[in-house]
Amino acid sequence: MDPEISNFETEMNRGFLQILALALLEKDMYGYAMVRTIRDLGYEVEENTLYPLLRRLEKNGWVKSKWDVSEDRPRKFYGITDEGRSLRTELLGIWRKQVQILKQLTEENSHV
Amino acid sequence: MSEKLKAYLEEISHFLSGREEREEILAEIRSHILEKAEQECGQATEASLARVIAAYGPARRVAEKYLDGRQIIAPAYNRYLFRYTALLFAFHFALTVVAVVFKKSFLMFPILYVPSMGPFDALFYLPTALLFDLGAVTLILYLITQSKKDVKLPWPKFSIDIDEMKTTGRTIGRIIGLIAMTALTSAALYLYIRYGTIFFVNFNLPQRRPIFTPGAGQWFSLILIGLWGISAISLAIKLVASSPWVDAVEKALSLVLIGLAFRQPFETAFAIPLSENLIRTIKLGLTITLLIICIFVASDFIKAVIRIGRKRLAK
Repeated sequence: MDPEISNFETEMNRGFLQILALALLEKDMYGYAMVRTIRDLGYEVEENTLYPLLRRLEKNGWVKSKWDVSEDRPRKFYGITDEGRSLRTELLGIWRKQVQILKQLTEENSHV
Repeated sequence: MSEKLKAYLEEISHFLSGREEREEILAEIRSHILEKAEQECGQATEASLARVIAAYGPARRVAEKYLDGRQIIAPAYNRYLFRYTALLFAFHFALTVVAVVFKKSFLMFPILYVPSMGPFDALFYLPTALLFDLGAVTLILYLITQSKKDVKLPWPKFSIDIDEMKTTGRTIGRIIGLIAMTALTSAALYLYIRYGTIFFVNFNLPQRRPIFTPGAGQWFSLILIGLWGISAISLAIKLVASSPWVDAVEKALSLVLIGLAFRQPFETAFAIPLSENLIRTIKLGLTITLLIICIFVASDFIKAVIRIGRKRLAK
């Protein structure tokens, strides 16, 4: 990919990944499972970006976490909180508005 | 645990030192890497772990993503760093000149101490002063940044503004300068080789006499030829490769040569009879002239250093 486009994608991913994580975490998940799920949805996420993001979301009270030590390998599970759900609703509202604006502009441009 | 994974986590840990949640971060990364190696490569062998670690990214970059990106100096205050340093250094420089000329010391504890010193000592004192000034300004901007207050700092217009430096017509100026400096250096060299000095009284008359004694004449002549020669070489280099390093080296060498001029005892330098009063007046005039030249050369040197710093920052 063109490095310029890659930079733009990284910028755009920053916001998208937050909504994506909040949307995914309706069901409790651990990091690696999230990476796999996102990949199965046809999107790639940098693993080393996801964990710091989850930590920030947790720090702000939008997600909560719990270590599961019942298996051989301990896993840290994340789940959304009520505050996280409210934030997700807000963010999705902004995203829908952005999509609507872009759609409208794209349609107008196609008629020029 | 694999040696590779252990070393990788230790490296991340090093960059996260001071973070209380470091162990938990490392535990999560360890868990992720081991699980990915098993799920995607069958089992966690040294080879599969090496692949997963490589995909996870360099330790420093991984650690940086956990750091909250707290800035030392906020972007809004970046531009003040060099300007305020230049201003502070100008003040420092002026006090140094006074300390050299009038043999005075200045103390404003704990921010300023300029001891009485000779011109040669000043050449070694000033670079240290520049670094101190840079550190002091950085500290103030750091404290302002950490306070998170919108402090409106004054933006003085009279100091160095690299952005406003003119670029047009430079090449023509350099060519003219190069021709002039080469001619001047060559003529001075010719005189020096022929007469052992370039300073004369009544040069065009049969009673031509050197102004200075042979030792002093040689000393001052070589310094002046050196200054012109450095200037000519610098102009020639800048015609083919313009780099702030050329200016920095030229100005630094010039400052050293000017400093060397002060090492020659002035009272006994003259070969012609002059009254003590006149020698004192000439000495004072010459010292002030040389110090003024020093200020301009030092100012150009600072500009060059700032340009080098900016280029490095941009990279």
